[in-house]
Amino acid sequence: MAILEIRHVSKFFGGLAANADISFTVEEGMIVGLIGPNGAGKTTLFNCITGYYPPSRGEVLFNGVSLKGLQPDRVCKMGMARTWQKVRPLAKMTVVDNVMVGALCRTNSVKTAREMAMEQLRVVRIEHKAGFLAGGLPIGERKKLEVARVLATRPKLLLLDEVMGGLNPAESEEIIQLILDIKKEGITQMVIEHDMKAIMRISDRIVVLNSGEKLAEGSPEEIVGNPDVVTAYLGESHI
Amino acid sequence: MTASKIPANSNWASPLRMVTGVAVVTFLVLFPRFVESPYALHIMILFFLSTIMGESWNILGGYTGQYSVGHAAYFGTGAYVTMMLMQYRQIPPWYGVWAGAAVVVVVALIIGSICFRLRGPYFVLASIAVAEIMRLSAMNLKELTNGAEGILATEIPPLKIGGVIITDFLSKVPFYYTGLAFALLTIIVTYFIQHSKLGYCFQAIREDQDAAHSLGINLTLYKNIALVISACLTSLAGSFYAVYIGFIDPSTVLPLDVSVQIVLICIIGGIGTIYGPVIGSLLLVPLSEGLRSNMIAQAIFKTGMVSEESGTGIFLRENLSHAHALIYGILVVIVILFMPDGVLGFMKKLLARRAN
Repeated sequence: MAILEIRHVSKFFGGLAANADISFTVEEGMIVGLIGPNGAGKTTLFNCITGYYPPSRGEVLFNGVSLKGLQPDRVCKMGMARTWQKVRPLAKMTVVDNVMVGALCRTNSVKTAREMAMEQLRVVRIEHKAGFLAGGLPIGERKKLEVARVLATRPKLLLLDEVMGGLNPAESEEIIQLILDIKKEGITQMVIEHDMKAIMRISDRIVVLNSGEKLAEGSPEEIVGNPDVVTAYLGESHI
Repeated sequence: MTASKIPANSNWASPLRMVTGVAVVTFLVLFPRFVESPYALHIMILFFLSTIMGESWNILGGYTGQYSVGHAAYFGTGAYVTMMLMQYRQIPPWYGVWAGAAVVVVVALIIGSICFRLRGPYFVLASIAVAEIMRLSAMNLKELTNGAEGILATEIPPLKIGGVIITDFLSKVPFYYTGLAFALLTIIVTYFIQHSKLGYCFQAIREDQDAAHSLGINLTLYKNIALVISACLTSLAGSFYAVYIGFIDPSTVLPLDVSVQIVLICIIGGIGTIYGPVIGSLLLVPLSEGLRSNMIAQAIFKTGMVSEESGTGIFLRENLSHAHALIYGILVVIVILFMPDGVLGFMKKLLARRAN
């Protein structure tokens, strides 16, 4: 069953179509890669899905329920969580407190939230930084904190916006492992990424956006072999 | 940037803190038994009042990051409701206080529904505008508020419980205890907020609204909860002030000065901390009283640095009491430049540095 169904979503900023008539579905348990050149409308699509922008046209269905008019907090409570391309740590709170804020979405008890938060910090392997201020973490750990925080909201669908951006190869590898571990937990993921090697490795399906439109959709092999995608984004060297 | 280590979960019920807390409260409770000077009690009452105001604002401004510069609206509304009920309807103030708080909750929800559509500096401007509207309304709704002439409390009915007169509010002592009780109440409320889900949600909103929103926090709901608690406690301060001073008019309980004063208490003490407003009050109340009563000028003459008869001496004696606002301003600039986390944050940093 499709956990997420995007139906003819368009988003206009003035006369500019950041997303134009995009439709695709995400099957439960899969990792779907969302790729495309800068300005293709990837993050805008995330914002439309999670309720930050109301889509100008079309609608998004999550588990068969329309998300029309729902605010991001409601969307999160329904089980869809997202990370941010530019990380947003709650700087003056400690690492564990950051994750607790996510966990408090599912519980009213601060004590339970703390236990849930520590569990997620162990999953992303930064439990030794629990008592540090989030604002003081280096970028690699900030990205992990971002993932731990959304995992603490107990999502069914996770939208990851460039979680490997700005990381060195070793750190990227850790994140790739983390994404694959999350998949094993049965959590569906949609991943925006520019690192083609990584995206080809982890994705079950890939959707390519270009200038706001859906250019192609298919398995990683199909995408690499698609001449339109090669011209628009990947370049000749990938063949 | 290096990560700074801070205690993961400082145990607020640690024995040392408990002992200190109990000692301070015991001292404050016994204070009027040993000190009879009405002036000393007056200063203490002003200190409590300032603490109540600071702690109240801190919940909305310090924890939730919504910098309201219009808290005079809640202070004044509380003061007016209590005074009007007492003067026109003969309702004793210890009931009027709660009526005032109830009215303020309604006012706060209305203000919140308008101002929380705005963010950052626009929210600040809107909050100032709303407070000014309240002040001008109080000036002009003469039938209700007696306009610029204000309301004078002619007599305060004694506090009776089951026919027994507990106190008649003739001396400063009952006000001292009421102020102490309200101040402790605001501190306890802040304590519970900080250690509950509310505190986490408030702080998440302060740190990053959009991130908080995406983590399942209903922004409108939690901002309004913070506003209602904050406004309600501020109205207690307003009612207390009105009954204690015995006279209110729009320019004493509803001006921008009061709103700014409330914010300064927190900024100087340290915003978003439980004891910041207490420290702020501890510094600002003696300073402003010392300037107003010319005690600081007298103290300067006593040190012999400046002779009272010299040109500078005369200048200080005549002007220092009016320089109240100027000195406040300088103090704020110093704190913002050198202690961005307030005096309390600065002291914590010093202690941490010494510990390393």
